[in-house]
Amino acid sequence: MRALDRRSREMLAEVRELGRKYIRPMGIESDRLEAPPPADHPFYKICARSGGIIGALLRLGGEGEDAGALEWQPLRVLLLMEEAAYWDRGVALSLPGPGLGGAALHSTATAEQKQRFLRVFDDDSRPHWAAMALTEPGAGSDVARIQTRARKEGDHWVLSGSKMFCSNGARADWVVVWATVDPELGRAGHRAFVVERGTPGFQLLRVEHKMGSHGYETSSFAVDDVRVPAENLLGGEEFYVGRKGFKGAMAAFNITRPIHASQGVGIGRAAHDIARDFVRAQYPQHGRRRQTALERLATIRRELQAARLLCWHAVWLYSQGKENALAASYAKLYAPPAALRAVSAALDIVGEAGVLRDTYLEKLYREVKILDIGEGTQQAQRLVIARRLVGLPRE
Amino acid sequence: MNFALNEDGEALRQAAQRFAERELAPGVRAAESRGCWSDEVLRVVDGFGLAGLDVPAERGGAGLGSLAKAVLLETLAHGDAGGLLAADPLGLAAGALVACPDVTTAKTLAAACLGREGACALVVAADPGRAPTRIEWTPARTRWAWITDGDDLRLLELSAAVAAAPALAFHASGGGSIGLDGARTLGAWQLDAGLGMQLRGRARLWAAAVATGVAQAALDATVAYATERIVFGKPVAHHQGNAFELAVAATRLQAARLMVRYAAAGFDDADSNAGFWASQAWLETMATAVTVTDLGVQLLGGHGFLKDHLAEKRFREARMLGLLAGGRDAADADVAAGALDPDPLFDMEAPA
Repeated sequence: MRALDRRSREMLAEVRELGRKYIRPMGIESDRLEAPPPADHPFYKICARSGGIIGALLRLGGEGEDAGALEWQPLRVLLLMEEAAYWDRGVALSLPGPGLGGAALHSTATAEQKQRFLRVFDDDSRPHWAAMALTEPGAGSDVARIQTRARKEGDHWVLSGSKMFCSNGARADWVVVWATVDPELGRAGHRAFVVERGTPGFQLLRVEHKMGSHGYETSSFAVDDVRVPAENLLGGEEFYVGRKGFKGAMAAFNITRPIHASQGVGIGRAAHDIARDFVRAQYPQHGRRRQTALERLATIRRELQAARLLCWHAVWLYSQGKENALAASYAKLYAPPAALRAVSAALDIVGEAGVLRDTYLEKLYREVKILDIGEGTQQAQRLVIARRLVGLPRE
Repeated sequence: MNFALNEDGEALRQAAQRFAERELAPGVRAAESRGCWSDEVLRVVDGFGLAGLDVPAERGGAGLGSLAKAVLLETLAHGDAGGLLAADPLGLAAGALVACPDVTTAKTLAAACLGREGACALVVAADPGRAPTRIEWTPARTRWAWITDGDDLRLLELSAAVAAAPALAFHASGGGSIGLDGARTLGAWQLDAGLGMQLRGRARLWAAAVATGVAQAALDATVAYATERIVFGKPVAHHQGNAFELAVAATRLQAARLMVRYAAAGFDDADSNAGFWASQAWLETMATAVTVTDLGVQLLGGHGFLKDHLAEKRFREARMLGLLAGGRDAADADVAAGALDPDPLFDMEAPA
């Protein structure tokens, strides 16, 4: 139950090393400047080099129609994101690789499409990114309300609308853009398209200014009559018979939610370690104050471990090809508030000194809250769980 | 990482589930009134090898491991937890048997318990350095008591029978109080550092596994009732406030279950931190079980207070489980004592 494979352990060891040397310092610098590291930062090239951590997230498919195709490794992505978020959640999200676009590909694309779009990550001459654009100004947790339109014109699709909260979109080689062929169709109208870098009409509007997590860019896009080849419709036309398009979007969430939640475990661990070191250095060896602090530390560990296991379990089910929507929502509902409690409890232990930038804790407190919002708020998770548990009606 | 049970474990779980649904659950109230499970039920439970399942073969057990034991306990407790404390004469004390440096004594005691000559209790010293003088509640046939205090371990043979005393729950396990005056000391050992925590962790794992089953049974029954019972024009569970509470309860319960299984797998992997994580699992599970069973009574309204439903029984059981093996204060003290210890899966400073 607990053992990790050799390659995963090697990958984690590499992340720890990179974390000390690059990720944490880059995160602090990004926070100071309120801007992400540039795409040509040497760190990203190290990540993308052959045999490096990005390569560990991909493997060659072995059987059936996936034979020979590059496959995205969700369990390794999960481990990577928790560990990298320990060092800096913002920079972790800025790591080169398929990112959320990989999740969409994994749940939706044909084998040929996976091969075609993941191939770019074999090129280690420079770092590459992919992204996913689903959220719109009027459709956040309720993704069924997306308004970006897709219409077929000959052998192309034409997309028009707007997207926001797209991570790494401005530096991505391709972005999975979700659109609807007809808003009246509701979920049955949803389609996912790969929009490649430089496609006319896909225009960066702005990079958002945020409370924290400055290590990666969060972008808004105008989607202005963007022409996409028909072969970039993920899964092909037949995939969207019935409600499969929306289910594809939801299946992507089933893997992105626990991965997103696991970043909270990483942040919580970072807060825990700061508080633990503070107790070791500053607290008296005996007495009630020390005992209270130790119990707080133990509680942080307990809740983060519970969160981590929920994340692992959700991704493990997904990797086994098993239904995991409920497990994904369990992880997403539990982990972010646990992470916030961890950071808050660490602040209690460190006291007023914790609000100073030098302690790093205040940065974690500004960062952690977004985890309870992105990939579906905790209210959305309660709805998902309640619908499955007690058949809570949608209306 | 792998969350699946192996083939034998899954077969055991399925068989136990059938038995719990068909035999244990329908007889809950009769067993409570009688003060014990029937001989027929106990024979089947013995057939599952419940007692000694997690004790190594060289100490007289079946050696199938803590994960198998935890899953079996949870599954049986879903049907009825009431008689489990009596049905497993090693129960909370199995960890003491495993940790005891005197293998011959451990093996002899295991044979006696598995032969149903008596049962073992585990007593966690409330005040370090002060020997306990009494066991306030223990199953009826308790004959031996393991006393754990830090890394000290003592084994007592009790001088009298347990005096029957009604308790909050677990009526089908009989039970009552007994003084330790006059008890004969069969052995006293200074364990290797950390082994005391390991054996207390095993006891907590036992209780946490049972609490998981009790809480899951409560949640299942609550969902069944709350999706049928109509209030203010729709099912109880379809009022968003209630639906959200149930969603949170289900989430916390799954977290607790995974923590129990993770800690159990830790014992099977000979992880020196398993006792710490088992105690953490206990803390998470007990708080969750009390919350879930409370919600079970609450959402049934007045019906939850009646013995027509099992909600009130599970409410009592969850609370009582959290008082065994030293209760919350002892668990808090143990995990706080380990809070600064490095853990290879948690701390950056620990060796991977």
